[in-house]
Amino acid sequence: MSTTFLPCSVYHENYAQDHGWWQTTFITGKMILLAVVLLGVIPYFADMYSLSVCNQIGYTILGALGVQLLIGFCGQVTLGHAAFIAVGAYTSTLLILEFPWPKILITAGLAYPISILVAAIVAGLWSVLFGLPSARVKGFYLILTTMAAQFITVDFIITQYVSQIGGRGQAFSLPPGTIKIGPWVIDNDLKVYYLMLVLVIICVIGIINLLRSRSGRAWVAIRDNDISAEVMGINVVWYKLMAFFVAGFIGGIAGSFWISNLAAISPEHFPWFWSLWLVGVILIGGVGSIHGTVFGSIFMVVVIELLQLAVIPLADIYPKLLIDFLFIKEAAFGLAICAFMIFEPNGLAYRWWQMKNYFNLWPFSY
Amino acid sequence: MELFLMSITTGIMVGGIYALVALGWVLIYKCSGVLNLAMGELTLIGAYVSLSFYSMGVPFLLSLLFSLIIGLILGILTEWVFLDKLIGKPVLTVIMVTVGLSFFFKGIVEFIWGTDTQVFEPPVFSIEPIRIGQLVIGQVYLWSFIAAIILLVIFVSFFKYTRWGLAMQATADDEMAALSLGVSARFVYGAAWAIAFMAAGVGGTFLGNINGLNISVGYLGLLVLPVVVLGGLNSVPGAIVGGIIIGILQNLCGTYLDKYFPGGVKEIAPFAFMAIFLLFKPHGLWGWERIERV
Repeated sequence: MSTTFLPCSVYHENYAQDHGWWQTTFITGKMILLAVVLLGVIPYFADMYSLSVCNQIGYTILGALGVQLLIGFCGQVTLGHAAFIAVGAYTSTLLILEFPWPKILITAGLAYPISILVAAIVAGLWSVLFGLPSARVKGFYLILTTMAAQFITVDFIITQYVSQIGGRGQAFSLPPGTIKIGPWVIDNDLKVYYLMLVLVIICVIGIINLLRSRSGRAWVAIRDNDISAEVMGINVVWYKLMAFFVAGFIGGIAGSFWISNLAAISPEHFPWFWSLWLVGVILIGGVGSIHGTVFGSIFMVVVIELLQLAVIPLADIYPKLLIDFLFIKEAAFGLAICAFMIFEPNGLAYRWWQMKNYFNLWPFSY
Repeated sequence: MELFLMSITTGIMVGGIYALVALGWVLIYKCSGVLNLAMGELTLIGAYVSLSFYSMGVPFLLSLLFSLIIGLILGILTEWVFLDKLIGKPVLTVIMVTVGLSFFFKGIVEFIWGTDTQVFEPPVFSIEPIRIGQLVIGQVYLWSFIAAIILLVIFVSFFKYTRWGLAMQATADDEMAALSLGVSARFVYGAAWAIAFMAAGVGGTFLGNINGLNISVGYLGLLVLPVVVLGGLNSVPGAIVGGIIIGILQNLCGTYLDKYFPGGVKEIAPFAFMAIFLLFKPHGLWGWERIERV
């Protein structure tokens, strides 16, 4: 699904062209346009509300990328990804709050970037720990193990133990000014937006490149048929664990990014619902497609926001709607997943692919 | 020693309910191959329906019966609307549809009944415990256990001796052969979902009687997953034995390990146990082991 037909009269003459990122001038132009929109139009013309929606989208993309890697490219279904995001967020917060940073690092504003990196590695290792059963079990049983990961990590370890560190009670609040990258203090939505943009771009490019490498091809082989992958000489366990590590790594980045947007973090920010939500995002966007991750994230966040906007005028007539919006959201999400699975199992990315091919092959689409 | 016996009996009693709910799960899996993650929400729906009837003044047994009937209708409807179109689709697709269903049901339940804890008012069972020798058993537990056993017997004998049950068994054994012999697949799948809804509804009603009814009863319904993993995904006796074992284990952990942890052991123990159990015996006690070839 990732390959598209080239437009008429475009030919590749060597291997490098064939594997180029942007194969035609049109795509280059499109990417430049995208960069202009992301860097120029949105930050200058969007109000704070739209920016916060954008940040939400970015967080969803970061979280869903790991799920996409595991489910879409390695075939390891995970229903506990929020646990790894939570591990990232808590590691980062605890490092910022409790670690005795040398003065020089604080003034240079390196504490938060370093904590992002450490959080990502810790979350990756934590993910490997719960990926270990994938050496023996697969399919439904693996789903259950990842579910256990969610309950054990968030509902037990974080709620009962990690939250007690420092005696702050359930929620860890970050004092203003602690989240600082270099000379910039991340304190409003615009700065969070820029941070989000940088992280999303790095992670997306990283994942796409990883998928073009040896390990990416190994993952796809494992997804398609793990036994034949093993027969072909791929170290299945190693690559599965590596997929878990990378997924957890990106989850950790997502978590430690998100604390810059939250005034305080508590275990309620990472419920099981959020794990399922991320899986729903990639299912709606399209399994096995990076485009799909982005489309799914945008679709889900925007649809929920629109739903919320639609509910507000209705609330005058029927005030219970506003209070119960959370439940409407849940029901709508569930129905959306069912509808997509039944009517469009390939997701939004497939529609995008069809559209692209239509225009690429136009007017001779045979 | 007394404490030990107490927690074991309570465990067996609660385990009976888990076994009942797990039986519904196993039936769905056996007959239609659907791995259902919406079981918690099925328990919620049944429980809330019977609670609504009960608080309208309908006698308890009658409201239980109503919840069974509504479960029957809802089960067949769910199968027709959502799962009928998914026959032959990949496993992940079907699992995710059940996840979607669980959100859908949960949202609707919360929307209709709210999230506050509701209790059966007036209480169905008196809080006066029954004493057998040294053992002290709450009446709720005892009656739940008895009801669970009765329903288990009814469902198992339905499965074993009636014409429809035999059709379901045939489909579970070999779908193609059963279809070519004139068994209606639609009927079998519908019946499996209806039974699951009914079993879960009764289980949920009794769980709601024990501690009051709120969304966390749905979480108890999720405990079927450790149960069926322990018993083997497609084994009816496995579901029953697994349910009772998980019930005992949960209560023992609650009694003895709560001292050493800040809390929440009782909720986590089955899942932790399941993760460890999967490492050593992924096919459960009596599940089928599939041999895979390229």
